[in-house]
This record gives sequence, C-alpha cells and structure tokens, in this order.
Amino acid sequence: MNASRKWILQRISALLVAPLIVWFCVSLISLSTSSYEEVMNFFGNPMFSWLTIILLVAGFFHAKIGLNEIFEDYIENEKIKNIANLLTFLLSIIVPLITIILLLYKF
Amino acid sequence: MSDSKNPLSPHLQIYRWQISSLLSITHRITGILNLFGLIFISAWICSAGIGENLFEYFSILLKTFFGKFILIGFTWSMSYHLLSGIRHFFWDLGYGYEIKTANFSGIIVVISSFVMTIILWLIGKGLI
Repeated sequence: MNASRKWILQRISALLVAPLIVWFCVSLISLSTSSYEEVMNFFGNPMFSWLTIILLVAGFFHAKIGLNEIFEDYIENEKIKNIANLLTFLLSIIVPLITIILLLYKF
Repeated sequence: MSDSKNPLSPHLQIYRWQISSLLSITHRITGILNLFGLIFISAWICSAGIGENLFEYFSILLKTFFGKFILIGFTWSMSYHLLSGIRHFFWDLGYGYEIKTANFSGIIVVISSFVMTIILWLIGKGLI
C-alpha cells in the first residue's frame, strides 16, 4: 500500500469509526452493569450488531495502519519491523473475524 | 513501507518537551490504548456469544474498581484520540498551523477530552 493511499484510508476509516465508537462507548457504559439477557438482546438487534461489525472492521483497520506508522518511525531493524507489521496484520484480522462470526451466529 | 531509505523519526528525548510534541505523542499513545480497548470490547462480545458463565467473569470485572478504571480510561483515551483526530483533519484542510492557533487548539482538545468523558458517562448512565 503506498503512502498516499494509506493516508486517505486512515482518514476514511477515522470518519467511520468516530461516530460509531461514541455510540458504542455510551452503550458499553450502559451495558457494563446490565444482565446477560440485556446484553444478548442488545446484540440480537440486527442494526446494533451490524453497526458493531462496521465499527470492528473499520476500527481494527484504522489501528493497523496507525501501528504500521508508529513502527515505521521507531523500529530501525527491518526484520523486527516486518514481524511487528505481520503480527499487527494477523491481530487486526483474527480478533474482529472471530467476534463478527459470534455476533452473526450466537446472538 | 518497504522503502528502507525512509529516514527514521528523530529520537524523542533529543527535543525539549513542548505542548505540540506532548500532544502528538499522546495521540499515538491513546491510539495504542484504543486498540487494547477494541480488543477488550471484542473479548467482551465474544464472552457473551460463547456463554453466560464466561460473560459473568466480565460482569464481575466491570463492577470492580479496576473494571471502572478500564472503562473510564478507555472513554477518555477514545475521546482524546477522536478530538485530536479532528484537529488533524483541520490541518489536513490547511487550517490551524499558526503556533498560537496550534497551541490553543491543543489545549482545547485536552480540556474537551475530559468534558466529553464526563458527558458520555452521564449519557451512558441515563443521567442526561
């Protein structure tokens, strides 16, 4: 991915994440003292679960680009930087993927 | 990314701390904290999806002082990163580069991040 494309994608994902994370954060504060049933009902709502899915995809993507940027600035050793980038890539795929599968099939 | 001729960022400790550099590094630190927040959120959702027993551990954790600290910390970290991100958008559009303006907007971001944290908690708790 070239730098200008990264730059644009970082901003597009930021615009997606910004309103969603504010909504999710308020929901999380509210749900943090809720019962299991209430949480299951919340994510059982298709609109809420889909908004959460968009948030997770855009959020982890945004985090991945951001971390790559930080590694670029502070890791001198190319090998270590590549490993760090690979781990970040795997993390940003696997964690949301598992969560999304559960969101789609278990609520 | 593969271009190894890219210069590395000058090392942080060489510079005298200024509000601009402090806010910039805070943007990055809160970005990393927010990733931990996203992982925590994912784990929380997964626990509910897997079963009530696992979810109960999260419920107990979230009711402790430490749990509240994580939640409030995440709310602030997210608020700061979002507001600081808006400041970056203004720079992208070509505004706010004057030193006075940049310092002022930085202070506004810091103050607003705490205000936003309080407001989000009041909304989340159903108080407003």
